[in-house]
Amino acid sequence: MYSDNGTTPRPCPDGNGLMPSCAPLAVPYVPFQQEGSQKYDQTEALANGTLFPGLNLPFHVKVKCGDLPRTASAELQALQFVLVELGEYLDTHQGDQEAFELFQKYASLAEEGKRRYEAMYGPLTQRAAAKDATYQWLNDPWPWEYDQKGAGK
Amino acid sequence: MFVYEKKLQYPVKIKNTNPKLANIIISQYGGPDGELGASLRYLSQRFEMPYPELKGLLTDIGTEELGHLEMIGAIVHQLTRNLNEDQIRTAGFDAYFVDHTAGIYPTAASGWPYSAASMQVKGDVIADLAEDMGAEQKARVTYDNILRLSDDPDVNDVIRFLREREVVHFQRFGEAMRLAKDKMDQKNVYYINPAFDKK
Repeated sequence: MYSDNGTTPRPCPDGNGLMPSCAPLAVPYVPFQQEGSQKYDQTEALANGTLFPGLNLPFHVKVKCGDLPRTASAELQALQFVLVELGEYLDTHQGDQEAFELFQKYASLAEEGKRRYEAMYGPLTQRAAAKDATYQWLNDPWPWEYDQKGAGK
Repeated sequence: MFVYEKKLQYPVKIKNTNPKLANIIISQYGGPDGELGASLRYLSQRFEMPYPELKGLLTDIGTEELGHLEMIGAIVHQLTRNLNEDQIRTAGFDAYFVDHTAGIYPTAASGWPYSAASMQVKGDVIADLAEDMGAEQKARVTYDNILRLSDDPDVNDVIRFLREREVVHFQRFGEAMRLAKDKMDQKNVYYINPAFDKK
């Protein structure tokens, strides 16, 4: 489920990156992730812990995992996760305009998702509590609590 | 400054209590390669960084690590909820219990309380970024080892996510090292420390 988002020509396969030729000695090198790398959609990105299939390098010990819950909160987590991942990518690739446009797209989706979530479940930030008629910030559950009742949340 | 968002970065829903597992996972809260050390390391190193890419990356990864600290706390909290008389006697967890009951305390699994001695802020661009790359690898190995030891699918699902973040962050710090080097003396990157020697 990759979005083929590239007009950018990619000289390497996705799990490889660019190295400088005749690089100075005695300094470590990690290949640079090339622009236009393939990307998962947000749900798969959250499930895999990365937006980039080329960087998805799991451990050999097979772990039994549950599926991500299909909830409003997981939906918002997925959108915000892509923003975190793309933000860090842009910190080292500030000239990648395609990635920046994707960042803008996800920022507005996440904004919308946040509004939907807060309308259903209450404020995500203390400041957002000002929008309600009474003070709802303290309502349980807090994020670290095991919440069987709110399993659909 | 920081603003709290009342949500986790990734869902943590642990159905079964398991104090023995909690006693292992607490290491990523306050152990030598844990998330507390990671966030403190990056958020502290950034003050001396001379280039905007490095200030930004250390701020953003350091902030994400604080979210990971919260997730580890949530795992340990959920693994130790509603413990019965027998469970608090679990070998390994009993020693934690006598000092902290079911509270979340930053300590290594071996019992050492969190120590800033397990991290460094050297004030030198290459030394600090090399430390950060090493730190991501050490955290990755800790998550590998947790996956070897744990058979709880609810826990493993979260640990797998956190482990993959270490891989991605290693990549970013590697790229940051390269961006920094490109701005330094190409004949001898050790000629000066751009974080200290103003040229």
